[in-house]
Amino acid sequence: MAQAHARLIWVLMIMIALSATALVPVFNWAGAQERHIVEIVAERFTFTPSEIRVPVGTTLELRVRSDDTMHGFRIVGRNVNLTVPKRRQGEAVVLFEANEVGRFRFECSRLCGAGHNFMQGEIVVVEP
Amino acid sequence: MLYSKIEISIRKILCILMVVFVGVMGISGSSSGQTSQSPSDSPDVSSPGSLTGPISGYMDFHYNNRENEDGILDFHRFVLLFSHSFSDRIRFVSELELEHALVSNEAVGELELEQAYVDFLITRSFNVRAGMLLAPVGIINERHEPPVFHGVERPFVDTLIIPTTWFDTGVGVHGDLRHGLRYRAYVMSPLDSTGFSAHEGIREGRQKGAQSNVRSLAGTGRLEYVGHRGLVLGTSFWTGDTGFQDLRFDTSVRMVEFDGRYRHGEFEARGEYAHGFLDGMGELNTSRQRTVGVSPNVARQVRGFYLESSYFISPRPAPRELALFVRYENFDTQHRMPTGFQPLKEFDRDAWVFGFTYFPDPDIAVKLDYTVLRNQSDVVIAPDSLNVGLGWWF
Repeated sequence: MAQAHARLIWVLMIMIALSATALVPVFNWAGAQERHIVEIVAERFTFTPSEIRVPVGTTLELRVRSDDTMHGFRIVGRNVNLTVPKRRQGEAVVLFEANEVGRFRFECSRLCGAGHNFMQGEIVVVEP
Repeated sequence: MLYSKIEISIRKILCILMVVFVGVMGISGSSSGQTSQSPSDSPDVSSPGSLTGPISGYMDFHYNNRENEDGILDFHRFVLLFSHSFSDRIRFVSELELEHALVSNEAVGELELEQAYVDFLITRSFNVRAGMLLAPVGIINERHEPPVFHGVERPFVDTLIIPTTWFDTGVGVHGDLRHGLRYRAYVMSPLDSTGFSAHEGIREGRQKGAQSNVRSLAGTGRLEYVGHRGLVLGTSFWTGDTGFQDLRFDTSVRMVEFDGRYRHGEFEARGEYAHGFLDGMGELNTSRQRTVGVSPNVARQVRGFYLESSYFISPRPAPRELALFVRYENFDTQHRMPTGFQPLKEFDRDAWVFGFTYFPDPDIAVKLDYTVLRNQSDVVIAPDSLNVGLGWWF
């Protein structure tokens, strides 16, 4: 009987250990930032959405795709500037660490037509 | 009758189509993928997204065969866009256009500076623009690259009611009001009423920034909603005096316009309504009758609208994209006449335009359409037309 109890305790301990291991990525006690995914559609001459609000401390993953020609995606002052592929040819992915409160302008950085300069948007980082 | 016309014309264009298709299928390819970057990475300076000095442009090559006329091959537009960023907040954009390939006294070609402005980007909601501007009226005037609209030629309403491409010198403000609302408000050089006509309304009244007379100034603006994915709703206006060439009477133009575009999956619909109010046209007609012997019979109201739907029947990545479209247009440059003048019924027109656009690349459009044009006249027949086009953006 005692042996059976000991075996049960071992099984329970192993299960708890496995569960804890599995939960590590979910509850990262080291305090990793929450990742927030936003899909952006670029089209002559708009980004939709053109305003993205996130609380400070968020990691933004921006997935930008085009509905027409090749566009650029540049976050002013943040050393981000990449090409958004043409329609149905993929997407550009940008990681943005919202580690300070403020407004961060993004814009099309590739001349895309008569209204190119209208293609702007803003990431608004606010207090949680 | 319609089918027999198509049969006759189709032989003439088969060779063109074959050459075009073989050419674009042979050279085009598709690619797909993902590019990624985080702020810690270095800028993508090798991409075409560099901020200074890129040259872009678009071209339009057309075959037009109107009923009972010989076909025409026309290199309609050769357009180059130049831009420069003086800084993050001061930008320059220009658009130089050669129409119909040849400019001379005998040819119909034109060399036009359609845009050349400096943008002073101050805040997201308030920016200043000055130079040669596009009037922010309608769907096509500011968004006219060949791959972004169906049909070989631009819609009739965007040609004869809204005189696309409508450009002139001016200064104004633009910005984003948040919640998906954007605006433009410009002061621009006015139209010149001596160019107005019964056939083309206000189209030939554009001064095009060529020593434009600014005895009076025109105001124009646009408010649009772009806050919902796939949906664009807009309204615009133009108002200004137009009678500076003849000081004996006052003339003016006021125009209002409403438009919308909606895309869901492979389906897209768009519509536009434009209505122009022309004051002083009775005096203008009478004056021209006295001075040159012929009244231009300019109306006191012009109006037009269209509805269009399109569907990507082959929505796979280029070179396999193919869209079908149909558009109905109704436009009248003699909608309401000044007292004492009769409308010319041949200018009360409507049209069905249907065809396809094939994209060997998202920036290249091979177009074919058939246009059934009708008018209200019992005497003058409106010709149908078969059109083939190759347009590209780079």
